[in-house]
Amino acid sequence: MSKIKNSLIFTLKYILVFLIISMIIFAVVRLLPTPPTDQWLSAYNLPRTDENIKWVTEKMGLNKPIAEQYINWIRNFFVGDWGKSLISNAEIFPIFLSKMPISLSIGFIGTLLAGILGFLLGYGSAYSKYSWCDKLSSALVVLTQSLPSFIVAIIIIHFLSIKLKLFYFFSGSIIAPLIISILLTCLYTAGGLARIVKLAYQEEMKKSYVRMLVTLGFSRSEIMRRHILRPILIKLLAAILSRFAWVFGGSTVLEFAFAMPGISYFLVDSMQKSDYNVLQTYVLVVILWMFFIHILLSILIKSLDIRRLSNEQS
Amino acid sequence: MSKANHTKHFTKHRCSRIYFTGKSRFILYSIVLMILLLVLFILIPRHNILHTDFDMRMQGASLSHIFGTDHLGRDLYSLMLAGGGRTLLVVGLSTAISFTLGSLLGTLGGYFGRWLENLVSILADFFLVLPTFILAMVLSSIFGFSPFMAGILFGIGNMGDYINQSLNLTKNLKHQEFIDAERVIGLSHFKLIALHIFPNICGQLIVFMGNQASSVVVQYSGLAFIGLGTDITIPDWGSLLYQYRSFLISHPHLVLIPAGAIFCLSLFFHLVFDRKLNRR
Repeated sequence: MSKIKNSLIFTLKYILVFLIISMIIFAVVRLLPTPPTDQWLSAYNLPRTDENIKWVTEKMGLNKPIAEQYINWIRNFFVGDWGKSLISNAEIFPIFLSKMPISLSIGFIGTLLAGILGFLLGYGSAYSKYSWCDKLSSALVVLTQSLPSFIVAIIIIHFLSIKLKLFYFFSGSIIAPLIISILLTCLYTAGGLARIVKLAYQEEMKKSYVRMLVTLGFSRSEIMRRHILRPILIKLLAAILSRFAWVFGGSTVLEFAFAMPGISYFLVDSMQKSDYNVLQTYVLVVILWMFFIHILLSILIKSLDIRRLSNEQS
Repeated sequence: MSKANHTKHFTKHRCSRIYFTGKSRFILYSIVLMILLLVLFILIPRHNILHTDFDMRMQGASLSHIFGTDHLGRDLYSLMLAGGGRTLLVVGLSTAISFTLGSLLGTLGGYFGRWLENLVSILADFFLVLPTFILAMVLSSIFGFSPFMAGILFGIGNMGDYINQSLNLTKNLKHQEFIDAERVIGLSHFKLIALHIFPNICGQLIVFMGNQASSVVVQYSGLAFIGLGTDITIPDWGSLLYQYRSFLISHPHLVLIPAGAIFCLSLFFHLVFDRKLNRR
C-alpha cells in the first residue's frame, strides 16, 4: 500500500514541477517587452504594420484565450509537434533529435567512466586511510569544486592544439573535442563519486556481518571485493544515475567552450537569437528527461536492493 | 579556571604564543579586514573600468596598473574588483535566501512532523529537481543578465538541499531527552526551536553553507562565461575569461588572474566554514 502511495506522490511531484515550470516559461515569454510577434516580424525583416501584426498573431495562434494556447502547447508537445524555430522556421523536434546524441554521449560516457574511476579511488581510500588514493580523491574534489571546467578546457585547447599542434579543435571534426569533453566530465564527477564509494564502504564495514567475516578469516581486500561489493555498487549506481539527470546542464559549459554541435550549444545559440520557441521546448525536455531518469533510478534501486526491502518489511 | 589554562598550556606546544580569544579575536579580525580594505581600495591605484587606452594594451604589471592591462587597454585590477563585487553580491544573495528559507522550512517541518514534514519534504524535492543552471541561463537570456536575478535563482534552486539537511538534523535532535525535558517544563514550541534546536544544528548547516557558497561562485562564473557574450563591458570574472581565452599563451596573466581569483574565492568559502580545519 505504501509502495503505491509513494509512487503516486512521486509522479504527482513531477507533474507538479512540469506544470509549474511550463506555466512560468509560458507566462514569461508572453510578458516580454517585445512580444513573439515582433520577434518573428523582425527576423523576417517585415514591417510592423497592423495588418502584418494581425496576420502573425493569427498564424501563431496568439489570439486565442491564454488557457487554450497553453493546453494546445502542452498537448502538441506530447504528440511530438514541438513547434518551429522562430528564426530558421525548421521543425524543432528533428533538430533536437539530431543534436541529442552528442550531449548525451558526453554525459553518459563521461559519467560512466567517472563511476569506474571513482570506484577505484574510493576503494583505495577505504582500504587504507591516508593512502595516495585518499589524498588524490580529496585533492580532486577540492580542485573540481573550486576551478570551473571551462578554464581547464581553455588551457587544454591552447596547449594541445596551438602549442603542441596535436589536434585541431574547431576544424569540423568533433572527435577530438568529444574525447576531451568526456575526459573532463569524467574528471569532474570522479571526485564526488569516489567520496561516495569511500563513505559507503566505511558505513558497510561497521556492520556486524562484516565483523563475522573477519573472524572467519577472510582478508580485508577479499571482503571488500567479494562480500560487500553489492550494496556499494547499488549506492554507486544510484549516485551515477542521479548525476545523469544533470547531463543537460552539465555539458553546457563544455559544449560552449569547444563549440560542439550539441543540444546545449544549440540552446545558447537560440538564446542569443532570442528564439523563444526553442527555449520553451528545451526547458520542458529537460524536465521530462529528469523525470525519466528518476523513475529509472527508483525502479532500479527497488529491484536491486532486496536486502534493504526485506529489512524494511521486517 | 586557572587550572584549566594550566593544563591547556601543557598539552599544546610549549612555545610562547599570544592567544587571542573571544572579543580580542574579533577585534584582530576586524583590524586585519580594515587594513586589507585600505590596501585594496585606496593604496592600489584603480581606474575606470570602461576607459580603454590603446596606447597601453597588453601591458604587464606596473605601478599604475598593478595587474596590467587587457587587449583593450582597460585596467585589469579594476575589472577584477568590479567583478569580485558582483560575484560577492550573487553569493551573498543566494546564500541569504537559501540558508534562511531553507533552514526555516526544514526545521519547522522536522519539528512539527506529520503532514508538515511531508509537505516540506515534497517542497524540497521540488526545488532539488529544478534545473537551476538551465533556468538561470534561459531567464537571463530573456530578462538580461544581472547578478540580482542570478543570485535569487541560485538561492531558490539551492534551497532543496538546505531543507533536507535541516529536516534530518532536526528530526535526529528531537529524539534526544533534553527536548522532552524542556517541553515538560513548559517551554513554548517556538522558543524551543529558536533557543535549543537551531543553535545545535547551526554548525553543520554552516559547513554546508560554505560548500554551497563555493559552488555558487563557480556556477556564476560558468553562467558569465556563456553569458550570451553581447556586452563586453560587464566585468564578471567568467565573461573576462571568455574575452581573454585566446590570449592564454601570448599573455597568460590575462587568463591566470581571473581563473586564480575564482579558484581562491571558492576555496576561501570552502575552507573558512569547514569545521574540521577551524577546530583547535
